[in-house]
Amino acid sequence: MNRLIILTISVFSALNVFAQGPPIFTETPILLGLDGGGMRTFARFIVKENATVYVQPLAIPYNLGSKTQIGIVGRFVNINPNNFESVSGFGDLTLFLKQQLYQKDGKGKTFRIIAKLDQVFPTGKTNSMPSIGSDSWQSQLSLVTGYVTLKYGIYGQVGYNITSNGLPDNLIYNAAFVYPLLPQKYPPNQLNLNIGINGNFFTDVNSNTILASGGIQWITSKTALFEAGLQIPIVEEVPEAQKTNYVLTFGTRILIF
Amino acid sequence: MRILLKTGIITLLTFATFILSTTNVNAQTKSETDKTYIKIEVDGLSCPFCAYGLEKKLKQAGSKDVLINLEEGEATMSVPKDQQPTEEELRKIVKVAGFTPKEITFSKTPFKIKQDEK
Repeated sequence: MNRLIILTISVFSALNVFAQGPPIFTETPILLGLDGGGMRTFARFIVKENATVYVQPLAIPYNLGSKTQIGIVGRFVNINPNNFESVSGFGDLTLFLKQQLYQKDGKGKTFRIIAKLDQVFPTGKTNSMPSIGSDSWQSQLSLVTGYVTLKYGIYGQVGYNITSNGLPDNLIYNAAFVYPLLPQKYPPNQLNLNIGINGNFFTDVNSNTILASGGIQWITSKTALFEAGLQIPIVEEVPEAQKTNYVLTFGTRILIF
Repeated sequence: MRILLKTGIITLLTFATFILSTTNVNAQTKSETDKTYIKIEVDGLSCPFCAYGLEKKLKQAGSKDVLINLEEGEATMSVPKDQQPTEEELRKIVKVAGFTPKEITFSKTPFKIKQDEK
């Protein structure tokens, strides 16, 4: 049970929390505007057969230039297992580095590729049952691409997460399509529709999880964005009692730099 | 006497209004001629939420009236003539903001542009 919850938090929270811009559940290669200097937080409710997990991460990125970004992510976690007492506390800390590798711009469009390195430090509380922290060092390297035009955006991410202390390594594969519902203008007043998939393949145990994702984003000004999304598992190779019913996310991003 | 006083006040007010408006027009004309207008074609302006960095950087270059048009892929601005940045400086600013600069045009008169915000 304890390891399962840790795995749940890793898959549904830690690996997606670093996405700094549209789309909602997939990483972006754009390091500008709200994607560059925007503090991001969201409330995520992971409703499983045997527990409900609430995660509230806070991500603060900082651009070292137009092609390099560093950042830190902290998270508050509450786990409410069926038939057990709920536990709360601060989860693991993550540092990340993004480096742009390629950029090809055209009029009203851009194609970019970045490399992203995430390092998870096992700082989370582990003296509770279930544990809040993973008690595991995790290093993840991803390639993130995006083709963004004024009419739509297509994003993709492939990464590998190396873990320690008995947690399985996993391959991450995410894809998203973002479609603006209002005319694109500046200063922004945008309503974006997000759809995508978020996959995890746990290599040590040959187990696959794919979530179908949908969401809506409202960019109210140059410096603020609000978003909400729903994820539903379409493939989940875990025992019946441990399955995820759905994941709900409500979040905001505010430009601070 | 009362009529004379009234006429005097009206004449004075008319004269004052004329002087003020002339001064204003002169000031405006002078202010406009003291400016350089710049239009920068920018590639990669594909999302409204990421254009803010460009606006911020161009304002740091001395302009208070940066306008960005996503549809046209353009940024326009004006700067005081004595603070006019060079083309090279402007290209560097656009690159640092994360975009690709294309043609840059300097003009003594304002550009006619379609604003996104309208």
